[in-house]
Amino acid sequence: MFTVRPLKPTFKSYLPPLQTDVKKSLHPPVKKLEATLLPGEIVVNEVNFVRKCIGAEKSHDDLWGKLICTNFKVSFVTHEALAQPRFQVSNRLLGEHDIPLACVDQVVTVNDAKGKKKVLGSNQKLKFNPSELILYCKDFRIVRFSFDEAGPEGAKKVCLAIAHYSRPADPQLLFGFELIGTRYLGSSEDGLNGARPAGGSQTPLFACSSDWDREIKRTGAAEWRVCSVNQGYGVSPSLPEFFVVPASLADQDLRQYAEAFSGQRLPVWCWNHPNGSALTRMAAITDPLQQKRLDQRICNAIIKSHPQRGDVHKADLDKNLPSLQQVNNSLVRLRHICVIDPFEETEEKWLSSVENSQWLDYVRTFLKHSCDVVYILEGLNASVILQEEEGRDLSCVVSSLVQIMVDPHFRSLSGFQSLVQKEWVMAGHRFLDRCNHLKKSDKEESPLFLLFLDCVWQLMNQYPSAFEFTETYLALLSDSMWVPVFSTFLFNGPKHHADTMHDFLEDKKITLGEGEELCLPPVWDWSQQLSVTDQALFNNPIYVGKAAPYAHNGAVKSFRRTKHKTWSSTLRGAPPSQTGWSSTLRGTPPALARNGLQGSQGTLPRRNSLAAQLKSDLFPVRDVPESPSERFARDWFSGPADPQGLLLPQLLPSHLALWRLYFLRWVPEAVIPRGGPVTAVHAVSQLAHEIETLQSQLRRYKGPTPGSTPRASPAGGPPGTPHAEPSRMFFKAGSLYEPSPPPEFLSSSFPFTPVGNLCRPNLRGTPISKLLNGAKTWLSTETLAGETA
Amino acid sequence: MDLLADVALLPGEERVTDKELIYICPFNGALKGKVFITNYRLFFKSTEAEALTLDVPLGVISRVEKMGGASSRGENSYGLDITCKDMRSLRFALKQEGHSRRDIFEILSKYAFPLSHSQPLFSYLSQEKYEENGWSIYKPLEEFRRQGLPNERWRITFINKNYELCDTYPTILAVPYRASEEDLRRVAAFRSRGRIPVLSWIQRDNQAAIARCSQPLVGMSGKRNKDDERYLELLRETNGTPKLTIFDARPSVNAVANKATGGGYEGDEYQNAELIFLDIHNIHVMRESLKKLRDIVYPTVEESHWLSSLESTHWLEHIKLVLAGAIRVADKVSGGKSVVLHCSDGWDRTAQLSSLAMLMLDSHYRTLRGFEVLIEKEWLSFGHKFASRIGHGDKNHADQDRSPIFVQFIDCVWQMTKQFPTAFEFNERLLATVLEHLYSCRFGTFLFNCESMRELNEVRSKTVSLWSYVHSSSTRYLNPFYTPESGRVLYPVASMRHLELWVSYYIRWNPRIRQQQQSPVEQRYKELLVLRDEYLRKLEELSPSPPSAHMTSPAPPGPAPTTQQFTHLHTPF
Repeated sequence: MFTVRPLKPTFKSYLPPLQTDVKKSLHPPVKKLEATLLPGEIVVNEVNFVRKCIGAEKSHDDLWGKLICTNFKVSFVTHEALAQPRFQVSNRLLGEHDIPLACVDQVVTVNDAKGKKKVLGSNQKLKFNPSELILYCKDFRIVRFSFDEAGPEGAKKVCLAIAHYSRPADPQLLFGFELIGTRYLGSSEDGLNGARPAGGSQTPLFACSSDWDREIKRTGAAEWRVCSVNQGYGVSPSLPEFFVVPASLADQDLRQYAEAFSGQRLPVWCWNHPNGSALTRMAAITDPLQQKRLDQRICNAIIKSHPQRGDVHKADLDKNLPSLQQVNNSLVRLRHICVIDPFEETEEKWLSSVENSQWLDYVRTFLKHSCDVVYILEGLNASVILQEEEGRDLSCVVSSLVQIMVDPHFRSLSGFQSLVQKEWVMAGHRFLDRCNHLKKSDKEESPLFLLFLDCVWQLMNQYPSAFEFTETYLALLSDSMWVPVFSTFLFNGPKHHADTMHDFLEDKKITLGEGEELCLPPVWDWSQQLSVTDQALFNNPIYVGKAAPYAHNGAVKSFRRTKHKTWSSTLRGAPPSQTGWSSTLRGTPPALARNGLQGSQGTLPRRNSLAAQLKSDLFPVRDVPESPSERFARDWFSGPADPQGLLLPQLLPSHLALWRLYFLRWVPEAVIPRGGPVTAVHAVSQLAHEIETLQSQLRRYKGPTPGSTPRASPAGGPPGTPHAEPSRMFFKAGSLYEPSPPPEFLSSSFPFTPVGNLCRPNLRGTPISKLLNGAKTWLSTETLAGETA
Repeated sequence: MDLLADVALLPGEERVTDKELIYICPFNGALKGKVFITNYRLFFKSTEAEALTLDVPLGVISRVEKMGGASSRGENSYGLDITCKDMRSLRFALKQEGHSRRDIFEILSKYAFPLSHSQPLFSYLSQEKYEENGWSIYKPLEEFRRQGLPNERWRITFINKNYELCDTYPTILAVPYRASEEDLRRVAAFRSRGRIPVLSWIQRDNQAAIARCSQPLVGMSGKRNKDDERYLELLRETNGTPKLTIFDARPSVNAVANKATGGGYEGDEYQNAELIFLDIHNIHVMRESLKKLRDIVYPTVEESHWLSSLESTHWLEHIKLVLAGAIRVADKVSGGKSVVLHCSDGWDRTAQLSSLAMLMLDSHYRTLRGFEVLIEKEWLSFGHKFASRIGHGDKNHADQDRSPIFVQFIDCVWQMTKQFPTAFEFNERLLATVLEHLYSCRFGTFLFNCESMRELNEVRSKTVSLWSYVHSSSTRYLNPFYTPESGRVLYPVASMRHLELWVSYYIRWNPRIRQQQQSPVEQRYKELLVLRDEYLRKLEELSPSPPSAHMTSPAPPGPAPTTQQFTHLHTPF
């Protein structure tokens, strides 16, 4: 539910209240200021009379309350309400002002009077009494607390506790384990499931062979099989227990080959194109002597698994994509200009600062590379091997993007979730290290998953009706990385997951009963975090799904049909096999770097080459020939896009945008009140809700009064949906036939809010403090006077 | 092959010539084909496999040049370069022998620049007929009446009925009630080109007004004019604003510099007034900025350093300043304070500011007709010099008077529609269409510099209004998400974080960009609307006793079996 503070009458939810709501437990009793604790959560330290800063310059909106550090979160509890109404989607695991410790990136303590500032690490000493605590969060929030009225010792202790507990030494110290442990130690009656069968959702987790089997069947990959050679992780420590390989490779071969691969990560199947081409991924071959032979055998096996014996192309991702460190540095820079640097000062150079962060460059590079892979699969009818040193970082991004572009299944909510499960979680992406949950090594930290979500957002931004889910979903998914309760983001791979669980059970001396399994919920079990009403925020009202009803002739679009339409007819010129491309490319890395254009265009443009030099020539006719993959893209762009067909992103830099909802949602100056794209979503959502209502009315006609409904079936309507289902739309139609204007609480940041979430330190830099630089002492004496009065 | 078959000529459009030549397409290379020139357009169709056509109204051509000579070497080096006002450039190559380009060059020059050849513009030859007469969209008195004028504080004056007070103003003006005709004449003497402060818009409830004018003729010696001072005081008194805010759109440096040419700005002698400079640059700066923008988007989009290149054009920065200025104006006025706007002559930046502020303040201007009225009123009737800024039919491409001020205004409107997707009744296509015909000379709307010239040249009786055309298929220009909200003041965020390049306009000639007839979201929304109506119709058919009120009543009285469901839907209200 929304924290509907001063209630705005414009917004009502007309759904019956949900019994499953845990809301009651989130709101503290009115009298005492106490943290609301989850099972297994304990208070480490707390301090009262703390001021949470709300506005940047003025303090009259600030809230008084108690700051508490638990083993899960930094909690601020208060009796006061915010002066401004704010609408922030609320998390069932967290209170209104809470921040999970895993979300805390930097803990900064400040002593204003002494002009001191210290970034706190684990087990550190603090030589001054902090007057202020600033928490820089991984989700870009900056939260500030002031201790001017709090006990200095207490304040210090809380700061140290936060610094310490936000850097757990061991994965078992991540809060999710406390939570499920408690379940077994018998103190919890709450529904936060420990032993509930994994996945309250229908998302396949790809932890068992049947999920893989179904995926093989769904994609028609006849010549591929699920192998269980890695059961018990005997072959590779980072591959899942079950994966898919060419049917022609026997378990024995696999065992033998595995040794030659980095991390024993054999080539594994990701997905099959309807034309039979396969997308596979593998690690580097470490043994140079075996390289050629192995490459050959694997290629042969993959070719054999292709119904038309299509060729195999290898894409060397390490060579063509930015490194993990580059991606991380890029986000650091972007974050600086988005939330840390003063707003006005960054305005003038905003565009070049965004460019300098290189974030959009990287987004574009990954999209471009994925497009090139799509071209091979789709245009050349050839299989692709994504090769990367370890095969569990860059290839996660590329393989998922390729599948999203080609297969509309992965643009549905459950399809997308299964994709993340398949290509990230089960493929052994080191979420624990990349998220740096243990804050052990900054070198390993890299926001690849966020980069991937941004790439998906770009596609969504260009093809708004092709995705079942919304950008809000993507943002909430990203935020869930910092709630350390979900199995999805806590481990470095399936084996690491299993081992950690095993150790945990041993350490806690928990014995499981027959058929029982202790597991953390996957993030896909969204009811852990969000009410059913709020989960409707995920649903894109203009999604044209497979069963999307059209009024005209009820055309129901399907994946297969589109494939034929889009490809065979638009691909002009010589058949791909005669372009001299596939044969020369075979086995040479990467398929894509060889056209002359790539070099001049530069996927990773060099700085200092000052391309801002303006062209004087009126007609710089392209002297570089178009590459086949560009031609392929151009042909595709010349026709209309089918939301259920292939999607290629427009890759001109002018057509990639900054993901404003994610990056600017906390920035108060950037909020468009009652504006932003969400207002259009609001309008469509109301209409979609109205249609839902009409559909269910029509269905009821069909039921109770069969005599009166000779042609009751709605044109092309999906007959399947049960009508007791709650509306999928978050915004409900107010009155029929007239959309209501955007309500007060809508803004370009919806469903997030800057209020209380972004308090830039005004120590230096902001225009006003600059102006008052000389008067700084005056300012503090005045504050002092105010305090003593 | 007859090209005539490919192009539907407009009534009044006549074929002039055609010729085989080669189009040097910046994207596809040289394409053989045939060009076909009428008194309205240049049409090219390639005869090669790459089916490509160009349809260029001659009005968009800003320059025709010969390239190469009869002895030039190299393939396709002899021909014509055509520079357009709408971001594109075209290059045609011809056979080198026999002066093959001479006649086509002359024909193009003659028909693209008819005014330089003492020929009529195409809009005077057009025979197009439309049901609705767009010339009657804007009726000044009606518009004043809508704003509640005249009233006890403001009167309507016809002092300018023969354009004697000010030849670039409209005939009907609203001025403070207490200012006499004589006062107006004396003020006119102190304002550049006689453009005295007159009312553009008034807020009904608090009587805060936007008045527009040109700069005062202060000059180097710092002249004062009691009448002008008193007149502004009268203006202030109309709603009792304690301090009248004068927004000078220019950077203060420019305002000072204008003193040298007899202009200037209001000084301290104006009591009860404050002067704020809005730092918006002049027409020359804007022209250069758009030129730079064009360089990075046409023919190819600057790839490697796109954002910094975009930044270096300053185009978005100028947009930001114009919007920010309008926001300040709107904010003052909605806070109940009257304001006066001017720049130098009060026909470029002033028009931008007043019309954008009005768009923010008055939801009527966010409807299709309201927007047309806004353009007719603030731009056309108040003498934005369209003829000079665009150079219709004039061969002098380097004319320093040309500037994309109106384009910039439309871009600002587009930025607002992006930030408030449900607040405007019209869509992006309307904006693009307005810009298309800003140049095309197919309609009379944007011709000439001011109302008096338009009258002299009988524009209303001899040409068709763009609005006639728009209204002949107005559904194409409607935004399906539009949700009327009267009384809401829209404040866009004038920050680089939100301003974006209008790619579907500026980069529209790039064949790598899918030309969408309609935004997919709009399209889907329309489909859903049809679907809803379909369901409603079905429901109606199904109900045993046909409730005729279904389509009109917000709460259709459901027949017995459906009552329950309707209850579910309606009880909350």
